[in-house]
Amino acid sequence: MQRRLLTDSLFKYLMTFGGISVIIAISLIFFYLVSVAYPLFKPANVEGWQVYAAPGAPGERTLHLSSEEQREIGARFTDNGSVYFFGFLDGKPRGEAKIKLPQGVSITAFAAGDPHQYVVAYGLSDGRVIVAKQNFAMNFDEQGKRVITPQIVYPLGEEPLVIDTSKSPLRKLAIQSAEDEITLAALTAGGRLQVAGITINKNMITGEAELERTGSMLDGVEGEVQDMTIEVKQRELYVVHADRFVSHFDISDKTGPRFVQKKQVVADGENVSALTILSGGFSLIVGSDKGNLGQWFLVRDGNNAYHLTHIRDFKAMPGSITTLAPEYFRKGFLAGDDLGNIGLYYATSQKLLAREPVGKGAVVAAEISPRANGLLVQDAAGRLSAARVENEFPEVSFSSLWQKVWYESYPEPDYVWQSAAATNDFEPKFSLAPLTLGTLKAAFYAMLIATPLALLGAIFTAYFMTPRMRRVAKPSIEIMEALPTVILGFLAGLWLAPLVENNLAGTLLLFPLMPVAVLLGALCWRLLPESLTGRIPHGWEAALLVPVIMPGIWLSFQIGHPVEAYFFGGDMPHWLSNEMGITFEQRNSLVVGIAMGFAVTPTIFSIAEDAIFSVPRHLTTGSLALGATPWQTLKNVVLLTASPGIFSAVMIGMGRAVGETMIVLMATGNTAVMDFSLFTGFRTLSANIGVEMPEAAVGTTHFRLLFVAALVLFVFTFFVNTLAEVVRQRLREKYSSI
Amino acid sequence: MNPVAPNNTPRKPHHAIDIRALGRAPVSAADNAGMVTCLETKNLNLYYGAARALINVNVTIPRNRVTAFIGPSGCGKSTLLRCFNRMNDLVDICRIDGKVLLDDSDIYERSVRVAELRRRVGMVFQKPNPFPKSIFENVAYGLRIMGVNDKKILMETVERALRSAALWDEVKDRLDSSGLGLSGGQQQRLVIARAIALEPEVLLLDEPCSALDPIATARIEELMYELKDRYTIVIVTHSMQQAARVSDFTAFMHLGEMVEFNDTDTLFTNPVEKRTSDYITGRFG
Repeated sequence: MQRRLLTDSLFKYLMTFGGISVIIAISLIFFYLVSVAYPLFKPANVEGWQVYAAPGAPGERTLHLSSEEQREIGARFTDNGSVYFFGFLDGKPRGEAKIKLPQGVSITAFAAGDPHQYVVAYGLSDGRVIVAKQNFAMNFDEQGKRVITPQIVYPLGEEPLVIDTSKSPLRKLAIQSAEDEITLAALTAGGRLQVAGITINKNMITGEAELERTGSMLDGVEGEVQDMTIEVKQRELYVVHADRFVSHFDISDKTGPRFVQKKQVVADGENVSALTILSGGFSLIVGSDKGNLGQWFLVRDGNNAYHLTHIRDFKAMPGSITTLAPEYFRKGFLAGDDLGNIGLYYATSQKLLAREPVGKGAVVAAEISPRANGLLVQDAAGRLSAARVENEFPEVSFSSLWQKVWYESYPEPDYVWQSAAATNDFEPKFSLAPLTLGTLKAAFYAMLIATPLALLGAIFTAYFMTPRMRRVAKPSIEIMEALPTVILGFLAGLWLAPLVENNLAGTLLLFPLMPVAVLLGALCWRLLPESLTGRIPHGWEAALLVPVIMPGIWLSFQIGHPVEAYFFGGDMPHWLSNEMGITFEQRNSLVVGIAMGFAVTPTIFSIAEDAIFSVPRHLTTGSLALGATPWQTLKNVVLLTASPGIFSAVMIGMGRAVGETMIVLMATGNTAVMDFSLFTGFRTLSANIGVEMPEAAVGTTHFRLLFVAALVLFVFTFFVNTLAEVVRQRLREKYSSI
Repeated sequence: MNPVAPNNTPRKPHHAIDIRALGRAPVSAADNAGMVTCLETKNLNLYYGAARALINVNVTIPRNRVTAFIGPSGCGKSTLLRCFNRMNDLVDICRIDGKVLLDDSDIYERSVRVAELRRRVGMVFQKPNPFPKSIFENVAYGLRIMGVNDKKILMETVERALRSAALWDEVKDRLDSSGLGLSGGQQQRLVIARAIALEPEVLLLDEPCSALDPIATARIEELMYELKDRYTIVIVTHSMQQAARVSDFTAFMHLGEMVEFNDTDTLFTNPVEKRTSDYITGRFG
């Protein structure tokens, strides 16, 4: 007695422990996913503001701020040609340099190129230009401490370059440089626009640089020019007018620059007050004197012509925009206004990440450090404010994950998943929409094939089949479930996909032909004399379908070829893509539908069969005793009573189809397309995680987004299962009979 | 409930069995003169595989009377009952030879439609088996599967059937609630209503009260008494008291054989066979 009680309570606690462990394990998985994904949605954190007087003599005007990669040293370029280096966070002087100006010449214009090239240009009063470059040499001293030595070098030589032969002062300047090519655009006092391309040919043997210069004059720049910018690839020149317009010139041919268009980039009644080019060089960020911010880039139309197009607006700043500074490698930028506010924005996600008041008066100049982990802002009072920034995941927002996003150089907004590319300044495209759709698409086509097969099979097996046959049939189907999906995926990708492609018409014909063949078989069976049919024992009729289905498939494939030849010009995939404009991929949804349908069928079959089989016998006999035919009994009593179980079966099958990875990974092209076509592939959330997790760097946006994908999958299955359970309980309440 | 007694013959006591006074009387032998045969078996043998479950059964069941089959467990009384509406067809290994005549035509003829036969020969099982549907739909089930969907006809039939099954007053306000919400006795009457909604000729009751408490049993027995005016009732029962109370005729079966068939009074008071007398006096079974 004592022992019985002991065993009793032991098992009670053991079971409780087991049950609670499962719940805890699932919650832990959930919380782990959330904890990895959560930082993506945090706003940027700007902290540790340090305010110090800008180094340099009083009365000097800041032209440009810069900083080196370690966020150790900042640089200030002033209007008398001085460059002051200082500690980024503490303002301590770290050296200075002076641009070597010729006698009696002053600086009249200044331009900075793409920030990570560190190239600046000074336009002089005698029509010449000096191109300078910051260089931060990094060494380690005896103690192994990092020593960064800032210096100024002259990539085109110390001798100024003549731009305007008439020697009139340069009013505006723009520069963009690459390893061996520099492009300059200068506006001379006469209002002429000069474009100069300089190619640096390094002699391989002597190491001497030889400059090759091309250039030309651009006429017809109307109106007053406020600013000029050359795009990073040195092919486009944007001239900002002193009103609300920007002119776009094609300067890919330096000897024949071409005016392309003049575009109004801010609303009527506003003026362009600042303009910058985002890293990568595609996008213009335009700030207006009303504080509005817009993104523009060139979009190619159907005629292959590029148009400067308004892409999106950002949350406006309170004051008039005075400064715009791009990030070095990402699509973020900083905007400063005349009220002393700075805003940290990200283009792709259209997000305002942080907004802070800084210093007194207008923001004069600003800089985001190369790794986007620091800010440097100068206010009108001549003080510099530096801060540390934590802004690792600006790319992610609800809109960038789930809505159409107009990515750079795309003709229109789109849902795109493209997490990596060959270049550094590429704009990551993190839309979960195509992945989610892909998941649903895979599940949909798999269920389309699996549900009817599994349910009809389950009904027959449980209700009509003779017990002896059932004892063989049921375990055989269930054992299919044990088949590793990697084998199914392998077969689907390497055997089924080419087979379907070569017999597309035949495969599609299967769907209407197979039911017709079965019905014809049944008809023939009825027409056969009873002396023959009587010999087949009751419940074994299903075996007779094998010789109907097998030739049916063969016949369908045989018919397929003439059908393709007659209607589809001999090659249906070709015909689809050429005549109908429907993309056909070899590894498509049809293949996955069949392969995954095959994988899901046993799950649904097994559960549904159990449900139907366990309908109490007294209900069936009760119905039969009332004169119902077996078919009526099935329809009116059995299926009704088994409906909760059948519903569960379908839902569990659905859950399996949604989470299935290996088959979709191997049998589709894994292209993250956003359509529901039967003939294209897709990429599912699960396959995406499987493919990209090994190559995602831990802790990056990409890495965390894969966790978001997992979370979406988790939540999705959670909802489906909860919904299924609620519906099942309802059904059970209604139709429970035991 | 005031049953209309078919005659006023005083009830004769059945010795060896303590019968509750029900205040009504079974039909006596004298009243059975004008009887018409409803069901009849001729040399009926039934095999489950190799085992012979019924051995040369010959029985004649009169119309509009209650006939009870009694006997120890496994004697074949339920099997015999199931022969009358061919429920044994559902058992794969079951084989029959001999004849079962309903109104003088063999129900095992090839031309007989089983569904049609079962509409004429209704059956109620040991365990109440209402469908997981509403009370209304349970009773209307038989009509619906015949293709009757006219709301008015259904309503009338359901009401008539429920009234006949003495259930109407208890459920008339909740026809739309589930049939499974009723008590066991009510469920059994619901099932009877479901069967008589089809106006069968014969009602087979397979131990209809074995899952019910005494009060519910009494209600069913009362109901049988009322229904026998219109239906031929065959009941299989384990309870000799019940057989004695409700039936006009009783058949005693033993080991697949029909040992004795007689009017109930005679069988219980004056059995011909020794086995019968042994059984009813409780010496075996």
